[in-house]
Amino acid sequence: MKAKSTYFKDFINAFVSIAKGLWVTVTHWSPARPCVTELYPDVMPELPENYRGVPSLPVNTQTGRSGCIGCGACVRMCPEHIITMELDKTDPKDRKPAKFEIDISRCMWCGLCMEVCPTNCLKPGRDFELACYTRECMVLNKEQLEQMGGQFTPEPKPEPEEKQESS
Amino acid sequence: MSNPYLEFAKELGLIVAIAVAVLLFMMVAVLYIILKLRWVIARIQSRLGPNRTGPWGVAQTVADALKLFQKEDIIPCGADRWLFTIAPAMVFIPAYLVYVVIPFGAGMTARPLNIGAIYISAISSIGVIGIIVAGWASNNKWSLLGAFRGASQLIAYEVPIILALSVPILVTGTLDLDRIVQAQQGNFWNWNLFNVHQWPMLPIAFLCMLIAGLAEINVTPFDIMEAESELVAGFNTEYSGMKFALFFLAEFAASFTLAAIIVTLFLGGYQPPLHFLGAQVTGKLFGVVPLFSLVSLFWFIFKCWVVVLGIMWIRSTLPRVRMDQLMNLSWKALIPAGLVNLLLTGAYVAFWMPK
Repeated sequence: MKAKSTYFKDFINAFVSIAKGLWVTVTHWSPARPCVTELYPDVMPELPENYRGVPSLPVNTQTGRSGCIGCGACVRMCPEHIITMELDKTDPKDRKPAKFEIDISRCMWCGLCMEVCPTNCLKPGRDFELACYTRECMVLNKEQLEQMGGQFTPEPKPEPEEKQESS
Repeated sequence: MSNPYLEFAKELGLIVAIAVAVLLFMMVAVLYIILKLRWVIARIQSRLGPNRTGPWGVAQTVADALKLFQKEDIIPCGADRWLFTIAPAMVFIPAYLVYVVIPFGAGMTARPLNIGAIYISAISSIGVIGIIVAGWASNNKWSLLGAFRGASQLIAYEVPIILALSVPILVTGTLDLDRIVQAQQGNFWNWNLFNVHQWPMLPIAFLCMLIAGLAEINVTPFDIMEAESELVAGFNTEYSGMKFALFFLAEFAASFTLAAIIVTLFLGGYQPPLHFLGAQVTGKLFGVVPLFSLVSLFWFIFKCWVVVLGIMWIRSTLPRVRMDQLMNLSWKALIPAGLVNLLLTGAYVAFWMPK
């Protein structure tokens, strides 16, 4: 038992499929289709809104420093133990860190420190050019982290009088 | 009676001048073809391609060539030194010699031969012997496998090329490439490819020629002898530096050669596509150079360029065929089609062609 020969049918199939393939490539070749290449050093890429960079400390423009209260939750949470924080004990009523360092050479960008932060002051930074020449400069101190975090102005809290009126 | 030695020196000088001019043309053409190929494939894959070296990246291939010249010339131990050294020349010289008979323009053939078509098919098949020698002398199993594949591919695809070549030769009645071009004079419907009102089998010969020619110059749908994903780099695995550059040069020169042969045999050679686009030009530049040969040189290079772009298009579209598919395509499709075509064309020429 032999199946019916597909010899001549194969010719037609081959030509049709090659023509389809050539049509696909020529539509890609046309100048109407944009390139997906990013010209990175010449044109900076546009980062998405929820870009997850280095954990950094954005500075509140009203108080002039980050909202960190030195609770140490991030230090305990960090799976790599790369966050070093020392509390500034000069003013017991004003809790702020005296030293805050992240060794980003070992950071794996898990984001647990940002998740656990009670005041939401650790935020993903938008810096991605982090290469440097020594291991020591991979350890970012508080000033560098604050610079990476940028500045933010907190939204004014709803005033309690208005709350009473509405309720 | 002039001095015969002086005559000989003049002749020799002319030959050397033409050889150097053709070599320079080939170098520039190959450099630009490689660059254009990288741009075209990049655009088809939605990339940009080389754009850093020089304005728009035009110096990229020159930089690559300079880098290759600086590289160490390695001869692996266990290789046959003499054959290993001579193999790149055996590939490159035939690719260069083909240009002897190609009519670049009216009266611009380096050495018109009355058996030009046979000369081309004979010379271009010598290059594969160089590839076999390169694969054997490398003392490397991947190189040897590539060379074996090259040998079987050569045997399979020389036949359809010659069968397809014979059809326009029969119809025009000459082997001289210059006269084949002159027979296609006039508007583009007199070219052999579009000459269906005279003999409708010519486009089939063109298709056979194109497919078999692609296999002959080893571009991607048929590049099984240097298949990067199967054999490391095929026959040139062990080569580096200048020798590798010669292989590369020969490969891309061959793609221009294929375009030149196709244009000469089927697309009217150096004839302008319509009569008023240059065919009526007479007169001479500086009283020496006929203007029509410049116009025809332009049309020849333009047509070759279009065919080379077509080859790039096919090459960036189709995936590589398997070894058995390659053999099937030649022995089961191209050779029967070519034989039937040749038989019908012979009958036409013998019985029905208007004398």
